[in-house]
Amino acid sequence: MRYFLSYLSLFWLINPVLAADELIVVIGHGTLPKADLSTLQRLYTGRVTAINQQTAIPINLPAGDPLRQQFLNVVMGQSEEQYTGYWLVRRYVGKGAPPQELATFEEVVKYVISTPGAVGYVPASKVPPGGNVIFKSVK
Amino acid sequence: MKKNKLLYLALALPLSASAVEMTWSGFGTLGYALSDQPYMYQRFINNQGTFKRDSILGAQLDLKLNPQWGATLQAKLAPAEDSDSQWTPTLSWAFVSWRPLDDWLVRVGKFRLPLMLNTENTDVGATFDLARLPIEVYSIAPTTDVTGVSVSKTWLTERYDWTLEAYTGKAETYSRFYGREIRDTEPSPGSWFLPIDMKSTGLVLTTKGIDNTFRIGIHQGEASRGDPKIHADIPYRQIAPGVGFYDLMASARVDKVNIPVQTLGASVMLPASVRVTAEYARIKVDSSSKGLTRWGAYLALSRRFGDWTPYVYYAKVKSPDATLEQYKAINGNTVPLSFPQASRINASQKFTADVLSPYDQSTVALGTSYRVAANSLIKGEWSHTRTGVVSSFVDAPSGGDSAEQHINVFSLSYNFTF
Repeated sequence: MRYFLSYLSLFWLINPVLAADELIVVIGHGTLPKADLSTLQRLYTGRVTAINQQTAIPINLPAGDPLRQQFLNVVMGQSEEQYTGYWLVRRYVGKGAPPQELATFEEVVKYVISTPGAVGYVPASKVPPGGNVIFKSVK
Repeated sequence: MKKNKLLYLALALPLSASAVEMTWSGFGTLGYALSDQPYMYQRFINNQGTFKRDSILGAQLDLKLNPQWGATLQAKLAPAEDSDSQWTPTLSWAFVSWRPLDDWLVRVGKFRLPLMLNTENTDVGATFDLARLPIEVYSIAPTTDVTGVSVSKTWLTERYDWTLEAYTGKAETYSRFYGREIRDTEPSPGSWFLPIDMKSTGLVLTTKGIDNTFRIGIHQGEASRGDPKIHADIPYRQIAPGVGFYDLMASARVDKVNIPVQTLGASVMLPASVRVTAEYARIKVDSSSKGLTRWGAYLALSRRFGDWTPYVYYAKVKSPDATLEQYKAINGNTVPLSFPQASRINASQKFTADVLSPYDQSTVALGTSYRVAANSLIKGEWSHTRTGVVSSFVDAPSGGDSAEQHINVFSLSYNFTF
């Protein structure tokens, strides 16, 4: 695992810039099964807590992060304002809090690798070797 | 063996604690409202202006142990339910939620009922555009928070999520009355608050899509009170041919009153991004305060233009005609001064009419919200309320009543979450 994480660090060091039109992929911990678009949309809106009956924990990047905006546009079909507004209401009708946020996609990758059930999104070029890609966006 | 178990437990506890995801958030409204009338409307609004009608400050803590188990606490500081002069902190929500499967949610504790479309988030002004949710509809349920259990099942379809929620619970609440001439215990005008023990059970079906929401609910309340028990009716006592009075003191007393409530609501996005929201509620209360039996409805239209969302709504609330006639009969009843204790009896007629608590009013409102940021709104509204026979939302002045009043209210508020 230590070698793997070192490799990841090196990988990001030499690929610091994200291409604007890069595909976004969703990775999951270990053996989480593939997910379809509607399942991911429901997962990130708190309406389901599992993918094919396996518990899933969605992880977000913070509001304003370009990758999050891309994820919201491409996968969720929502703007930042719509998504934030959705969770604002959902939280205050007592139906739960929005997904946990981590500061960078590097942290997301580490979290997904180390946490059973975790799900996060990364640029296609930043998928760690052996990473479990559960969804690929279509351009 | 016992030692090992304790060791495992000791190790497990901090691990469990560290696994808890805890998020807290806050919300509030700083709202100012001013009317063009000297008497109070909706408890606090008169021509002196007030921050008390709409201002509120709250905080919410969400704990997530894992995707299945969670807990929520919400506390708020707002004008007291049992006093017009005090502010009190209240624990409005405190429940544990359990999601055994994706489509089942069980909540146990103190939670808010799914009555109208915005009942659950009423306290969080940043979650809706209207400066004030129409009181004609949003005041109808005798209580919005109960301590009990709620079970909901959701069916996810391609376009809509269908949720059927059943709940049952209890609440200790207060019923506010206002006497124009005398109160329950004092020979002067003012408000008083009767404690009520409420039991409430209901079934609510909600359909939610990306743009549209529909909700229908049936609720069964049961109000009870210790001594003094609830007045069941207002008998008329004849003291001479053609002369008599309505005698609340001679009323039968009952242990409990059944209160059925039905609710219906829809919020739909029309072409040209115009949103139409309509809600309807009705309630039946068989007691001496049978004016609380009423229906209320509103129709709102809004459209977003960038950060601005202007809106207009029309709302109406009305008690049955027979009750309004009864109010007029009691309110206008006098005993000739030649009868013993006539002045006392005549004062009691106004008091008895006030206890009947009927409603007959409509409101037109024009307003807008302005989105300052994703989590904050500024709202401004002008509303015009016209009362018919009577409105118990008005603290009628001594020597007069609340009939045929015209009340303009200007409201400005800053609503935020953090």
